[in-house]
Amino acid sequence: MSEDKRTVFERSIDRRRFLQGSALAGFSAFLAACGAKGAASNSPAAASAAPVASASASAAASPSASAVAPSGPIGGELNFANWPGYIDVSDDGDSHPTLDAFTKAWDVKVNYQESIDDNEKFFTSDLQGPLSQNLPTAWDIIVVTDWMVARLARLGWLEKIDTSTTPNFPANLQPQYQGRTFDPDTNLAAPWQSGMTGLGFDQKKTGKLDSLDAFWDAKYKGKLTYLTEMRDTVGLAAIKLGFDPAKITKDQFDQSLAEIDKAIKGKLVRQLTGNSYVDIMASGDAIVAMAWSGDVLGLLVPDQKKDQDFQFAVAKEGGMLWTDNMCLPKGVKNKKQAEAWINFYYDPKNAAPVEAYVNYVCPVKGAAEELKAKDPDIANNPLIFPPEDVVARLHQFRALDATEEKDWSEAFSKVLGL
Amino acid sequence: MARFHLSRSTAPYLLLLPGLAWLLVFYVYPAIQMFLVSLWTGNIQDGYELTFNWPIYPDALGEYWPWIVRSVEYGGLATILAFLLGYPLAYTIAFRGGVYKNVLLFLVIAPFFTSFLLRTISWKIILADSGIVLGPLKTAGLLPDDFRVLATPAAVVAGITYNFLPFMTLPLYVALEKVDRRLIEAAEDLYAGPWRPGGTIAGAAIGGVVFALVALTLGASPIEPAVAGAVVGGLIGTFLISQAFLRVTLPLSLPGIFAGSLLTFIPAVGDFVNAELLGDPGSAMIGNVIQARFLKITDYPTASALSFILMAAILVGVLVYARLIGTEELTGGAV
Repeated sequence: MSEDKRTVFERSIDRRRFLQGSALAGFSAFLAACGAKGAASNSPAAASAAPVASASASAAASPSASAVAPSGPIGGELNFANWPGYIDVSDDGDSHPTLDAFTKAWDVKVNYQESIDDNEKFFTSDLQGPLSQNLPTAWDIIVVTDWMVARLARLGWLEKIDTSTTPNFPANLQPQYQGRTFDPDTNLAAPWQSGMTGLGFDQKKTGKLDSLDAFWDAKYKGKLTYLTEMRDTVGLAAIKLGFDPAKITKDQFDQSLAEIDKAIKGKLVRQLTGNSYVDIMASGDAIVAMAWSGDVLGLLVPDQKKDQDFQFAVAKEGGMLWTDNMCLPKGVKNKKQAEAWINFYYDPKNAAPVEAYVNYVCPVKGAAEELKAKDPDIANNPLIFPPEDVVARLHQFRALDATEEKDWSEAFSKVLGL
Repeated sequence: MARFHLSRSTAPYLLLLPGLAWLLVFYVYPAIQMFLVSLWTGNIQDGYELTFNWPIYPDALGEYWPWIVRSVEYGGLATILAFLLGYPLAYTIAFRGGVYKNVLLFLVIAPFFTSFLLRTISWKIILADSGIVLGPLKTAGLLPDDFRVLATPAAVVAGITYNFLPFMTLPLYVALEKVDRRLIEAAEDLYAGPWRPGGTIAGAAIGGVVFALVALTLGASPIEPAVAGAVVGGLIGTFLISQAFLRVTLPLSLPGIFAGSLLTFIPAVGDFVNAELLGDPGSAMIGNVIQARFLKITDYPTASALSFILMAAILVGVLVYARLIGTEELTGGAV
């Protein structure tokens, strides 16, 4: 019973908790079964992304790549683990058009499961067991957050993506994601979606906010929430103190933590939450929150009451950028199919319909242009395609080594009262 | 004859087999595994090694003692509150339920038809700072504007009490239902009247202590609540508790009290959902610590050691408790 409880519970606090409840119906396992129907009727954008279009886009994008890319149906299957609500769903809720298009193009049966609702939990339940014994996992593609990629890379538990077979990747990857510290050669992690961490607030109650000082403002005592994700909360505190989270030292970490401790001890902070700050804000119990961009847009705004006006802003001092990445776990069984999928997704024609649905930040070059034609609202939304000046203010948390990761999260837990 | 003898002696073992096998696979084996994990040293980077690192136990106990104490306090308090709410409820259903008995019992269990998580989350809606309960009270000026119930220790204890109330009520009901009404009539025939002044004194003492305990656990001043509790308890003791209840019904319901309090207390101490959803950073329980140690910090040895300490502490507590109200009462009363 307690296992059960935890599962449901964890699901409710995940930050990518579903944009629309109805979309949860898309939990179906073997999409290939209903593939043809979904692709034909539901998503013209995805359906038009035939292999020919895909191949020509690739060629244009990276003429230098000595295109060893598979050029036709390769068959086989692809076991894909992702977070709930992280891919497009057809209108009838039964299929994922983009996956159907992939199946149609490459004849790969996709077993798409929304089985990740927490990085750590997924690590414990699906990865650690087999990988520590040098055995393959059940998955060919997993989607995990930067720091988890760093941990897996450190452990040597990732398979390199053979980029000679993926002309679209990293060619179509936005420049800020290239050569990240945990993936210097850009061949371990292919970004799926990114999000920003910043100020979520109810503008009707707080007025316009643009500074991180709001998180330490006694005005909002008891009406303020922080995040339980260490890298977000500590990252924002560090930015407030003028440090760069990408180069944070132990001493700066301690100072940032002291800043957070001050707010918690002073009873400024009502609760530290995962995704549940959304409910706390919706009920009006919190009016300022450390928030994830997609949540405010996708979850809070659509249901806001007349006296509420939910806004998300990257503070003028800066904000955090995190990314969930597609990775191939060590010993992956269907490597060719996994690489074909990554190449497929990195065609902006295929990334666009996913983006139109999930509302986070798209890492694929050209997706904005692709969307502009079909859905100008989304393409012009600064939270989904952030403009240059916002991108310049975004920071990523430094990759930590094993000892740091344990010691720092332990120290952070202590401040959280755990 | 011999064949019958054989089957009569082996039958109990055969009947035990499925349950034992289940426990062996899903309880004994994981428990041993967890115990071994607690004695590991290492980290996920370099791997773990079984080094029989015994000092982890005193270390974990020392470091997390306040959380263990807090969990026992919250769990104990919730158990007492559930008893004070559940006993009159069970008594009324058993003795005065009449034709509505089954409907009332169904209502007691009804919350179980919703998920534990949803029930707890719905509290956040009902008790929101300007929600359906507190909103009108604040508008009427009865509560200060910054008053809140959610994100406080009180909300955690109340949440646990609510969530485990049926575990208390049902065993109490079963025990009370079995009480032979003729014994009560006999007691009344033998001049068992109202319990005064004993009831007044006992009621006032119990009421005062319970209210003071509640206030202390929640970090408030115990004086006023103690007085209020003494008055309430005194009134109940004076007018509602009879000699027949004290000498017949209450002793005969002891097995229910024993079972109900254990069924409430044990999961309540290990609960982490209520503290996570309804609490604030100052009200984390040991279950939250274990979860954080295991998932966030990947400190499997300490998480396992804490789980074991919690298990051992509860086991010792239960044994002491069993000695006090006794398993004899349990079997003696049920027959």
